[in-house]
Amino acid sequence: MLCLLIFVAKWALGVSLAGNSPLKEPTQTKDGANQFSNLESVEPTISITVVGASGDLAKKKIFPALFALFYEDCLPKHFTIYGYARSKMTDEELREMISGTLTCRIDKRENCGDKMDQFLQRCFYNSGLYNSEENFSELDRKLKEKEVGRLANRLFYLSIPPNIFVDAVKYASSRASSASGWTRVIVEKPFGRDSDSSGELTRSFKQYLTEEQIFRIDHYLGKELVENLSVLRFSNLVFEPLWSRNYIRNVQLIFSEDFGTEGRGGYFDNYGIIRDIMQNHLLQILALFAMETPVTLDAEDIRNEKVKVLRSMRQLTLDNVIVGQYKGHTRGSKSYPAYTDDPTVPNNSLTPTFAALAIFIDNARWDGVPFLMKAGKALHTKGAEIRVQFRHVPGNLYKQNFGADLDKATNELVIRVQPDEGIYLKINNKVPGLGMRLDRSDLNLLYKARYTKEIPDAYETLLLDAIEGEHRLFIRSDELVAAWSLFTPLLKELEEKKIAPELYPYGSRGPVGAHYLAAKHNIRWGDLSDDS
Amino acid sequence: MATVSSPNCPSSSSSYSRITPSSPSSQLLPIRLASKQFLPKKISLRLPRYWNVLLSQDVAATSTPPASKAPLKKLKDGLLSTTSSEDSRELANFSINEKGSTVSITVVGASGDLAKKKIFPALFALYYEDCLPKHFTVFGYARSKMTDVELRDMVSRTLTCRIDKRENCSEKMDQFLKRCFYHSGQYDSEENFKELAKKMKEQEFEDVPLLMQDGRISNRLFYLSVPPNIFIDVVKCASTSASSANGWTRVIVEKPFGRDFESSAALTRSLKEYLVEDQIFRIDHYLGKELVENLSVLRFSNLIFEPLWSRQYIRNVQFIFSEDFGTEGRGGYFDNYGIIRDIMQNHLLQMLALFAMETPVTLEAEDIRNEKVKVLRSMKPLQLENMVIGQYKGHTKGGVTYPAYTDDKTVPKGSLTPTFAATALFINNARWDGVPFLMKAGKALHTKRAEIRVQFRHVPGNLYNRSFGTDLDRATNELVIRVQPDEAIYLKINNKVPGLGMRLDRSNLNLHYAARYKNEIPDAYERLLLDAIEGERRLFIRSDELDAAWSLFTPLLKEIEEKKIIPEYYPYGSRGPVGAHYLAARYNVRWGDISAAEHHHE
Repeated sequence: MLCLLIFVAKWALGVSLAGNSPLKEPTQTKDGANQFSNLESVEPTISITVVGASGDLAKKKIFPALFALFYEDCLPKHFTIYGYARSKMTDEELREMISGTLTCRIDKRENCGDKMDQFLQRCFYNSGLYNSEENFSELDRKLKEKEVGRLANRLFYLSIPPNIFVDAVKYASSRASSASGWTRVIVEKPFGRDSDSSGELTRSFKQYLTEEQIFRIDHYLGKELVENLSVLRFSNLVFEPLWSRNYIRNVQLIFSEDFGTEGRGGYFDNYGIIRDIMQNHLLQILALFAMETPVTLDAEDIRNEKVKVLRSMRQLTLDNVIVGQYKGHTRGSKSYPAYTDDPTVPNNSLTPTFAALAIFIDNARWDGVPFLMKAGKALHTKGAEIRVQFRHVPGNLYKQNFGADLDKATNELVIRVQPDEGIYLKINNKVPGLGMRLDRSDLNLLYKARYTKEIPDAYETLLLDAIEGEHRLFIRSDELVAAWSLFTPLLKELEEKKIAPELYPYGSRGPVGAHYLAAKHNIRWGDLSDDS
Repeated sequence: MATVSSPNCPSSSSSYSRITPSSPSSQLLPIRLASKQFLPKKISLRLPRYWNVLLSQDVAATSTPPASKAPLKKLKDGLLSTTSSEDSRELANFSINEKGSTVSITVVGASGDLAKKKIFPALFALYYEDCLPKHFTVFGYARSKMTDVELRDMVSRTLTCRIDKRENCSEKMDQFLKRCFYHSGQYDSEENFKELAKKMKEQEFEDVPLLMQDGRISNRLFYLSVPPNIFIDVVKCASTSASSANGWTRVIVEKPFGRDFESSAALTRSLKEYLVEDQIFRIDHYLGKELVENLSVLRFSNLIFEPLWSRQYIRNVQFIFSEDFGTEGRGGYFDNYGIIRDIMQNHLLQMLALFAMETPVTLEAEDIRNEKVKVLRSMKPLQLENMVIGQYKGHTKGGVTYPAYTDDKTVPKGSLTPTFAATALFINNARWDGVPFLMKAGKALHTKRAEIRVQFRHVPGNLYNRSFGTDLDRATNELVIRVQPDEAIYLKINNKVPGLGMRLDRSNLNLHYAARYKNEIPDAYERLLLDAIEGERRLFIRSDELDAAWSLFTPLLKEIEEKKIIPEYYPYGSRGPVGAHYLAARYNVRWGDISAAEHHHE
């Protein structure tokens, strides 16, 4: 019921979308499918195949998200879920494995056991190789059995290592695409490791899929507060007038984890923090933050604006980058390992586990405003946030009340993406009482306090969007090209020059270099200032 | 005046805004320059300790007569403000505080309600916070016969200690009460005031050896807590028979300042026969409220508000005052004034002026008051069609019966006096042209509150229009400054409802004072009394401000009274007359305090 409402609301928002988006093939859109079903008066069915079903992501995120969608009545009435992986497993064993990680929403515990059983009944497993035509044909046969003559839509979620992406795509599309409905493929990062490899990957995809069929997931875009960013900007009068170089001094995008690779550094070491977090997650948030107002909220309009921002960015230079790597650290009686202590990491690895950089957007809105990014592992906190620091008040009447540090007196808007989702605006305020002491206080919106419902996981949002054919939160090929062209030269230079990362202790606030980088642009990191 | 109070007083650490010359700004600049020339910055540092003391005493001591006081005081201010070093400031404090000066505060009308409930407790709170000068005396003056002890007994019943500082409270209270004295006298008897002056003198020098008495400056503050018809008598007697010989003499007056332009001007003229402008402190206790003081801080110390503060972004502004009780047997005074004079012409209009004024040159009193006058003088004359008046009628809810206004025994049966009024004002200047400023004030309504609501314009070309349904007004941002109760500031913003889908919702970006600040917020009277003692005039109303305020309201009040406009009746405890909604609707406004969304949120 709830989801039906959401569905209608989304549809209402996207009414213009079906009509005027030239990229969409009518038969592949949700709306097309609906028309079809009306004609046939048969409800469509959807088969969701999780390729790499035995992997970690599948267990921890994908199956639970699918169940949550089912629980919220957001999946179509007829659906089937297939796990596909190399390991031998029965349907029962798959169900057993999944059920361990399914949870019921805190706010809706009722019938949970029932619902879970119903859900598991619709889950099946097919064992096969990722590069076997044979095995995918077999899957196709099994899918058809479940689809029994209905209009059949198929969604493949590739939760597998990048080196087998192309094989899986090839066979899924040639052997197991739907004959009557749409076929869509969700892919997870990494999308290559530089412009060339990413371009190569995209070219290979496009041999088998059209742009419309590819859903490149960046799960940060599914996060509640990232989704809210556009709402904040475009549905409130009070923010948009301030959203430019006239009023914004700098913007900070900060990501930190309070743990290291912990024995799973094999994949990471080949990519490093810049590829793993900055080039995708932080850059995507930045693009959403800085883009011009799109013509509509349709996916193509938004993505057009994002590409424009990415393409307006000034080339990154080595002097605007700091890389770091965590080293071992003993606190109290506890020892924390260095990055290179991880057995899956080469001993002499120069891979950055921390990076900070300054980006500039050379357009009329943002010329000269530093956008600082910072991402790191094994830091003292865990969080992701956007901080907007506003300029000083020109001719501030209260200057003398602030002491020497005028930077502390500026307004700051903080959008905390995780944990403890919240928005707050730091303002100057008189301390109540006789006299005139000023103080920074927060105008606050803490989600936990305002909304009692659990915030859905980003994967739920994104899976639902993929099922509904909503591309807004997925990354288009040209966006990806622009993102890589920004970072590739820098990454090449770092690697060719074998730039040694600045070592910082596990659990610390990261390398000091990050402060100097910020200071060079007259900035203080908002997350490391006294009053945070 | 620099800080006359001890460094423990919160106001003394702030001091920037309080080191303010107190005279018309036109004279300010040359004198400051002069004092800088003659007293270079470092000089006070080089002076031996006693020299500094002597110097400031000299300056102060010669500044006796009220008329010539101002320029000399400025010299002293110049001196203080040019000594940038903390050291020298302390020395100056020492000179004024420890030996130099004493203040006698006379509450005229000491047996009245306001005195008991507000003035004495405020004085005690200031004392408790170390904000009074070290040597001070409090006098009660009224007609009733009473001894000092009886006064102390009466006062002590209403004194309370701050919640956050209970320690030593009763000790402090005793010390305070020992400094309280009573003098019985007629309000129009110079004789009686002379007696008062004599008693004052005794107290002013009680702790100083005879030889040193010459050096002590005795300042005197009179708080007139008496009915308006005896203002002038008291001022006359106090100024002729009880003003200070060598320090300042200041008089605090409470509303009503007349009941129209003419009577107010006559009052001012009479006051000025005995006092100069600098000696008159017209109190509007709303200006002492924490969030009204914070209004300028919000506007001028935050980048994010000022760009929005104009007709370009603000759709309308609402000033709302409501009480949830009627006159309850004390309507005698009120009936002669009505809600427009009692609340709008002063409290709400003052808040409006602060809200809408241009940025002042500095935070000094004269600069701020200059800007306020400009706003008041830019206002479009009020039209009867832009005014709704109401009067509450009896109402029975549950088993409880609430009386009508005219049921009040002190109110004439056929009274047409409004207990409710709503009006739309316009400011014809570049910043505010066309923006309706709505005011609403009423008694016997369903809630009790005072707040400012700023409704912003619709988002032009809003991408999310479809998500808001038909009522786009609900989708606009709103800044609410709640003055009382539960002081708070919040900004209503649109927000995505967490969850799948794209439902939008208005949430608040919130600053709730009770949650953020543990200290008790001082009563408005404390702040204002302290300001009067320190000579800070920022929060008091200047004569020309008062003139401007009355010129705005007088024609309309006359019209209402001459035409005997009948108020719209509304039930006791209701949301007020429906007319207020139609008035707002004419300007495409909804009252923010009674919209559905508001109730949903609170």
